[in-house]
Amino acid sequence: MSERRDAATPRGIDPRGPRFAAGITAVLLLIVVFLGLTGLSTAQTAEGWAISAASVAQRILDPAFLLLLVTTLLFLWGVVSPRTAPWGALYRAVVAPRLSAPTELEDPRPPRFAQGVGLFVSALGLVLQLFGVPWALTIAASAAFIAAFLNAVFGLCLGCQLYLLLQRAGIVGRTRPASA
Amino acid sequence: MTLVGALIALAVLLAATVALGVFLNWRQSQARRNVEHEVVEPHRLGADGLGEVATLLQFSTELCARCPGVHRTLAAIADDHEGVRHLDVDLTHRPDIAKHFHVLQTPTTLVLDRNGVVQTRFGGAPGRDVLELELNRLIAEDANV
Repeated sequence: MSERRDAATPRGIDPRGPRFAAGITAVLLLIVVFLGLTGLSTAQTAEGWAISAASVAQRILDPAFLLLLVTTLLFLWGVVSPRTAPWGALYRAVVAPRLSAPTELEDPRPPRFAQGVGLFVSALGLVLQLFGVPWALTIAASAAFIAAFLNAVFGLCLGCQLYLLLQRAGIVGRTRPASA
Repeated sequence: MTLVGALIALAVLLAATVALGVFLNWRQSQARRNVEHEVVEPHRLGADGLGEVATLLQFSTELCARCPGVHRTLAAIADDHEGVRHLDVDLTHRPDIAKHFHVLQTPTTLVLDRNGVVQTRFGGAPGRDVLELELNRLIAEDANV
Protein backbone atom coordinates (compact mmCIF):
# COMPACT_ATOMS: atom_id res chain seq x y z
CA MET A 1 0.00 0.00 0.00
CA SER A 2 1.31 3.40 -0.86
CA GLU A 3 0.08 6.93 -0.71
CA ARG A 4 1.36 10.36 -1.34
CA ARG A 5 -0.15 13.55 -0.17
CA ASP A 6 0.90 16.44 -2.31
CA ALA A 7 -0.51 18.93 -4.75
CA ALA A 8 -0.48 18.45 -8.49
CA THR A 9 3.09 18.39 -9.75
CA PRO A 10 4.18 20.02 -13.00
CA ARG A 11 4.75 17.92 -16.10
CA GLY A 12 7.81 15.71 -15.76
CA ILE A 13 11.06 16.06 -17.66
CA ASP A 14 13.62 13.51 -18.82
CA PRO A 15 16.01 13.26 -15.82
CA ARG A 16 18.97 12.71 -18.13
CA GLY A 17 18.55 16.25 -19.50
CA PRO A 18 19.68 18.08 -16.33
CA ARG A 19 22.55 15.60 -15.88
CA PHE A 20 23.73 16.22 -19.44
CA ALA A 21 23.57 19.97 -18.78
CA ALA A 22 25.43 19.50 -15.48
CA GLY A 23 28.19 17.65 -17.35
CA ILE A 24 28.75 20.57 -19.74
CA THR A 25 28.56 23.01 -16.82
CA ALA A 26 31.16 20.95 -14.92
CA VAL A 27 33.57 21.11 -17.89
CA LEU A 28 33.10 24.89 -18.16
CA LEU A 29 33.67 25.32 -14.42
CA LEU A 30 36.79 23.14 -14.48
CA ILE A 31 38.20 25.42 -17.22
CA VAL A 32 37.30 28.43 -15.01
CA VAL A 33 39.22 26.85 -12.11
CA PHE A 34 42.22 26.30 -14.39
CA LEU A 35 42.09 29.89 -15.68
CA GLY A 36 41.72 31.09 -12.08
CA LEU A 37 44.74 29.11 -10.92
CA THR A 38 46.91 30.44 -13.74
CA GLY A 39 45.35 33.93 -13.92
CA LEU A 40 44.73 37.08 -11.92
CA SER A 41 42.63 35.45 -9.17
CA THR A 42 45.57 33.65 -7.54
CA ALA A 43 48.58 35.47 -9.03
CA GLN A 44 51.18 36.93 -6.69
CA THR A 45 53.71 39.67 -7.32
CA ALA A 46 56.57 40.95 -5.19
CA GLU A 47 54.14 43.41 -3.53
CA GLY A 48 51.51 40.78 -2.71
CA TRP A 49 48.32 39.66 -4.48
CA ALA A 50 48.24 40.85 -8.06
CA ILE A 51 44.47 41.28 -7.93
CA SER A 52 44.71 43.86 -5.14
CA ALA A 53 46.76 46.13 -7.39
CA ALA A 54 44.67 45.47 -10.51
CA SER A 55 42.06 47.93 -11.73
CA VAL A 56 38.39 46.93 -11.87
CA ALA A 57 38.65 46.68 -15.67
CA GLN A 58 41.57 44.27 -15.33
CA ARG A 59 39.59 42.19 -12.84
CA ILE A 60 36.70 41.99 -15.33
CA LEU A 61 38.89 41.22 -18.35
CA ASP A 62 40.56 38.30 -16.54
CA PRO A 63 39.69 35.22 -18.70
CA ALA A 64 38.51 33.28 -15.64
CA PHE A 65 36.10 36.12 -14.77
CA LEU A 66 34.72 36.27 -18.31
CA LEU A 67 34.12 32.52 -18.57
CA LEU A 68 32.54 32.37 -15.09
CA LEU A 69 30.34 35.29 -16.15
CA VAL A 70 29.14 33.21 -19.12
CA THR A 71 28.49 30.22 -16.82
CA THR A 72 26.63 32.46 -14.36
CA LEU A 73 24.42 33.82 -17.12
CA LEU A 74 23.67 30.23 -18.17
CA PHE A 75 22.70 29.42 -14.56
CA LEU A 76 20.44 32.50 -14.61
CA TRP A 77 18.87 31.28 -17.85
CA GLY A 78 18.26 27.89 -16.24
CA VAL A 79 16.47 29.51 -13.31
CA VAL A 80 14.40 32.01 -15.29
CA SER A 81 13.40 29.79 -18.20
CA PRO A 82 14.45 26.12 -17.82
CA ARG A 83 12.55 25.08 -20.96
CA THR A 84 14.65 27.27 -23.26
CA ALA A 85 18.06 26.95 -21.51
CA PRO A 86 20.67 26.10 -24.18
CA TRP A 87 22.05 22.80 -22.80
CA GLY A 88 18.54 21.46 -22.19
CA ALA A 89 17.53 22.47 -25.71
CA LEU A 90 20.70 20.85 -27.09
CA TYR A 91 19.89 17.67 -25.17
CA ARG A 92 16.36 17.48 -26.54
CA ALA A 93 17.41 18.32 -30.10
CA VAL A 94 20.57 16.22 -30.46
CA VAL A 95 21.04 13.73 -27.62
CA ALA A 96 17.54 12.58 -26.64
CA PRO A 97 16.54 11.35 -30.15
CA ARG A 98 19.56 9.00 -30.12
CA LEU A 99 18.64 7.50 -26.72
CA SER A 100 15.75 5.26 -25.80
CA ALA A 101 12.69 6.94 -24.32
CA PRO A 102 13.07 7.83 -20.63
CA THR A 103 11.84 5.12 -18.27
CA GLU A 104 10.75 7.70 -15.72
CA LEU A 105 10.08 11.40 -15.64
CA GLU A 106 11.36 13.83 -13.04
CA ASP A 107 9.89 16.87 -11.34
CA PRO A 108 11.51 19.91 -13.04
CA ARG A 109 11.61 21.96 -9.81
CA PRO A 110 14.63 20.34 -8.06
CA PRO A 111 17.04 20.88 -10.99
CA ARG A 112 15.78 24.44 -11.30
CA PHE A 113 16.43 25.05 -7.61
CA ALA A 114 19.93 23.58 -8.02
CA GLN A 115 20.55 26.01 -10.91
CA GLY A 116 19.65 28.77 -8.46
CA VAL A 117 22.23 27.49 -5.97
CA GLY A 118 24.83 27.41 -8.76
CA LEU A 119 23.85 30.94 -9.74
CA PHE A 120 24.31 32.14 -6.16
CA VAL A 121 27.74 30.51 -5.70
CA SER A 122 29.19 31.65 -9.03
CA ALA A 123 27.75 35.17 -8.69
CA LEU A 124 29.37 35.38 -5.26
CA GLY A 125 32.72 34.49 -6.86
CA LEU A 126 32.26 37.19 -9.50
CA VAL A 127 31.37 39.90 -6.96
CA LEU A 128 34.30 39.04 -4.69
CA GLN A 129 36.65 39.15 -7.69
CA LEU A 130 35.31 42.63 -8.52
CA PHE A 131 36.17 43.68 -4.97
CA GLY A 132 39.66 42.27 -5.47
CA VAL A 133 39.50 39.27 -3.12
CA PRO A 134 42.25 36.81 -4.05
CA TRP A 135 41.25 33.15 -4.65
CA ALA A 136 37.50 33.93 -4.26
CA LEU A 137 36.63 33.29 -7.90
CA THR A 138 38.70 30.11 -8.05
CA ILE A 139 37.20 28.70 -4.83
CA ALA A 140 33.63 29.58 -5.87
CA ALA A 141 34.17 27.93 -9.27
CA SER A 142 35.63 24.85 -7.53
CA ALA A 143 32.60 24.57 -5.22
CA ALA A 144 30.21 24.90 -8.17
CA PHE A 145 32.30 22.37 -10.12
CA ILE A 146 32.06 19.81 -7.29
CA ALA A 147 28.27 20.17 -7.20
CA ALA A 148 27.89 19.98 -10.99
CA PHE A 149 30.27 17.01 -11.30
CA LEU A 150 28.53 15.03 -8.54
CA ASN A 151 25.22 15.72 -10.24
CA ALA A 152 26.42 14.69 -13.69
CA VAL A 153 28.40 11.58 -12.71
CA PHE A 154 26.69 10.28 -9.55
CA GLY A 155 23.24 11.80 -9.83
CA LEU A 156 23.67 13.44 -6.43
CA CYS A 157 22.03 16.84 -6.02
CA LEU A 158 23.79 18.87 -3.33
CA GLY A 159 21.63 21.91 -4.01
CA CYS A 160 18.52 19.82 -3.33
CA GLN A 161 20.00 18.55 -0.07
CA LEU A 162 20.62 22.14 0.99
CA TYR A 163 16.94 22.83 0.69
CA LEU A 164 15.94 21.50 4.11
CA LEU A 165 18.81 23.36 5.78
CA LEU A 166 17.70 26.58 4.13
CA GLN A 167 14.12 25.85 5.06
CA ARG A 168 15.02 25.33 8.67
CA ALA A 169 16.82 28.66 8.66
CA GLY A 170 13.53 30.16 7.47
CA ILE A 171 14.91 31.31 4.11
CA VAL A 172 12.73 29.23 1.80
CA GLY A 173 9.53 27.23 1.78
CA ARG A 174 7.46 28.85 4.51
CA THR A 175 4.57 29.72 2.29
CA ARG A 176 2.18 28.14 4.73
CA PRO A 177 2.47 28.48 8.49
CA ALA A 178 3.86 25.39 10.14
CA SER A 179 1.32 23.80 12.44
CA ALA A 180 1.89 20.83 14.68
CA MET B 1 50.75 29.54 -10.29
CA THR B 2 52.70 27.62 -12.90
CA LEU B 3 50.99 25.54 -15.55
CA VAL B 4 52.17 22.30 -13.95
CA GLY B 5 51.03 23.45 -10.49
CA ALA B 6 47.61 24.36 -11.88
CA LEU B 7 47.24 20.99 -13.61
CA ILE B 8 48.20 19.17 -10.40
CA ALA B 9 45.64 21.24 -8.46
CA LEU B 10 42.99 20.34 -11.06
CA ALA B 11 43.84 16.64 -10.75
CA VAL B 12 43.57 16.88 -6.95
CA LEU B 13 40.20 18.64 -7.25
CA LEU B 14 38.92 15.96 -9.65
CA ALA B 15 40.16 13.10 -7.48
CA ALA B 16 38.70 14.63 -4.31
CA THR B 17 35.34 15.13 -6.04
CA VAL B 18 35.23 11.54 -7.29
CA ALA B 19 36.17 10.30 -3.79
CA LEU B 20 33.41 12.45 -2.26
CA GLY B 21 30.89 11.07 -4.75
CA VAL B 22 31.87 7.47 -4.08
CA PHE B 23 31.73 8.07 -0.32
CA LEU B 24 28.30 9.77 -0.44
CA ASN B 25 26.91 7.00 -2.64
CA TRP B 26 28.29 4.35 -0.28
CA ARG B 27 26.97 6.05 2.86
CA GLN B 28 23.50 6.42 1.38
CA SER B 29 23.17 2.70 0.91
CA GLN B 30 24.05 1.98 4.55
CA ALA B 31 21.38 1.31 7.13
CA ARG B 32 21.76 3.01 10.50
CA ARG B 33 20.43 0.96 13.40
CA ASN B 34 21.82 2.91 16.35
CA VAL B 35 19.00 5.43 16.16
CA GLU B 36 16.67 6.81 18.78
CA HIS B 37 13.96 4.14 19.06
CA GLU B 38 11.07 6.50 19.44
CA VAL B 39 7.45 5.58 18.76
CA VAL B 40 5.98 7.34 15.73
CA GLU B 41 2.38 8.46 16.07
CA PRO B 42 0.83 8.23 12.60
CA HIS B 43 -1.84 10.88 13.14
CA ARG B 44 0.84 13.49 13.73
CA LEU B 45 2.05 12.84 10.20
CA GLY B 46 -1.47 13.02 8.78
CA ALA B 47 -1.80 9.25 8.27
CA ASP B 48 -4.64 7.10 9.56
CA GLY B 49 -2.48 4.21 10.68
CA LEU B 50 0.68 2.18 10.33
CA GLY B 51 1.40 -1.15 8.67
CA GLU B 52 0.49 -4.31 10.61
CA VAL B 53 4.01 -5.73 10.36
CA ALA B 54 6.19 -2.77 9.40
CA THR B 55 6.01 0.72 7.95
CA LEU B 56 8.37 2.39 5.50
CA LEU B 57 8.20 6.05 6.45
CA GLN B 58 9.68 8.24 3.71
CA PHE B 59 10.35 11.96 4.04
CA SER B 60 10.38 13.96 0.82
CA THR B 61 10.30 17.56 -0.35
CA GLU B 62 9.07 19.09 -3.58
CA LEU B 63 12.63 20.01 -4.52
CA CYS B 64 14.07 16.53 -4.17
CA ALA B 65 15.28 14.88 -7.34
CA ARG B 66 15.66 11.36 -5.94
CA CYS B 67 12.45 11.22 -3.92
CA PRO B 68 10.12 10.07 -6.75
CA GLY B 69 12.45 7.17 -7.57
CA VAL B 70 12.69 6.12 -3.91
CA HIS B 71 8.92 6.49 -3.67
CA ARG B 72 8.46 3.98 -6.51
CA THR B 73 10.93 1.53 -4.95
CA LEU B 74 9.34 1.69 -1.50
CA ALA B 75 5.82 1.45 -2.94
CA ALA B 76 6.83 -1.67 -4.89
CA ILE B 77 8.40 -3.23 -1.77
CA ALA B 78 5.28 -2.46 0.28
CA ASP B 79 3.11 -4.04 -2.40
CA ASP B 80 5.22 -7.21 -2.31
CA HIS B 81 4.96 -7.73 1.46
CA GLU B 82 1.74 -8.42 3.33
CA GLY B 83 1.18 -5.97 6.20
CA VAL B 84 3.90 -3.54 5.11
CA ARG B 85 2.79 0.00 4.48
CA HIS B 86 4.57 2.85 2.73
CA LEU B 87 3.99 6.42 3.90
CA ASP B 88 5.48 9.37 2.04
CA VAL B 89 5.45 12.62 4.01
CA ASP B 90 6.14 15.87 2.15
CA LEU B 91 8.20 18.10 4.43
CA THR B 92 8.15 21.09 2.12
CA HIS B 93 5.60 22.90 4.25
CA ARG B 94 6.21 20.99 7.47
CA PRO B 95 9.55 22.11 8.91
CA ASP B 96 8.23 21.04 12.32
CA ILE B 97 8.29 17.37 11.27
CA ALA B 98 11.73 17.79 9.68
CA LYS B 99 12.99 19.27 12.94
CA HIS B 100 11.39 16.58 15.09
CA PHE B 101 13.02 13.73 13.16
CA HIS B 102 16.29 15.64 12.54
CA VAL B 103 15.86 15.29 8.79
CA LEU B 104 18.67 17.18 7.08
CA GLN B 105 18.39 15.55 3.68
CA THR B 106 15.66 14.05 1.56
CA PRO B 107 14.90 11.36 0.86
CA THR B 108 15.25 10.00 4.39
CA THR B 109 13.56 6.68 5.11
CA LEU B 110 12.70 5.27 8.54
CA VAL B 111 11.76 1.62 8.97
CA LEU B 112 9.19 1.22 11.75
CA ASP B 113 8.23 -2.06 13.38
CA ARG B 114 4.63 -3.09 14.05
CA ASN B 115 4.47 -0.91 17.17
CA GLY B 116 5.64 2.14 15.25
CA VAL B 117 9.09 2.10 16.86
CA VAL B 118 11.87 3.46 14.67
CA GLN B 119 14.25 0.57 13.95
CA THR B 120 16.41 1.69 11.04
CA ARG B 121 17.22 4.91 9.29
CA PHE B 122 18.41 5.48 5.72
CA GLY B 123 19.71 8.88 4.61
CA GLY B 124 19.53 9.17 0.84
CA ALA B 125 18.39 6.57 -1.65
CA PRO B 126 18.48 3.13 0.04
CA GLY B 127 19.28 0.01 -1.93
CA ARG B 128 16.32 -2.29 -2.47
CA ASP B 129 18.19 -5.40 -1.23
CA VAL B 130 19.26 -3.66 1.99
CA LEU B 131 15.67 -2.60 2.63
CA GLU B 132 14.38 -6.13 1.94
CA LEU B 133 16.90 -7.45 4.46
CA GLU B 134 15.66 -5.03 7.14
CA LEU B 135 12.04 -5.87 6.42
CA ASN B 136 12.63 -9.62 6.50
CA ARG B 137 14.30 -9.19 9.88
CA LEU B 138 11.23 -7.39 11.23
CA ILE B 139 8.85 -9.91 9.67
CA ALA B 140 10.81 -12.77 11.23
CA GLU B 141 10.69 -11.04 14.63
CA ASP B 142 6.97 -10.56 14.17
CA ALA B 143 6.49 -14.28 13.50
CA ASN B 144 8.35 -15.17 16.70
CA VAL B 145 6.17 -13.03 18.94
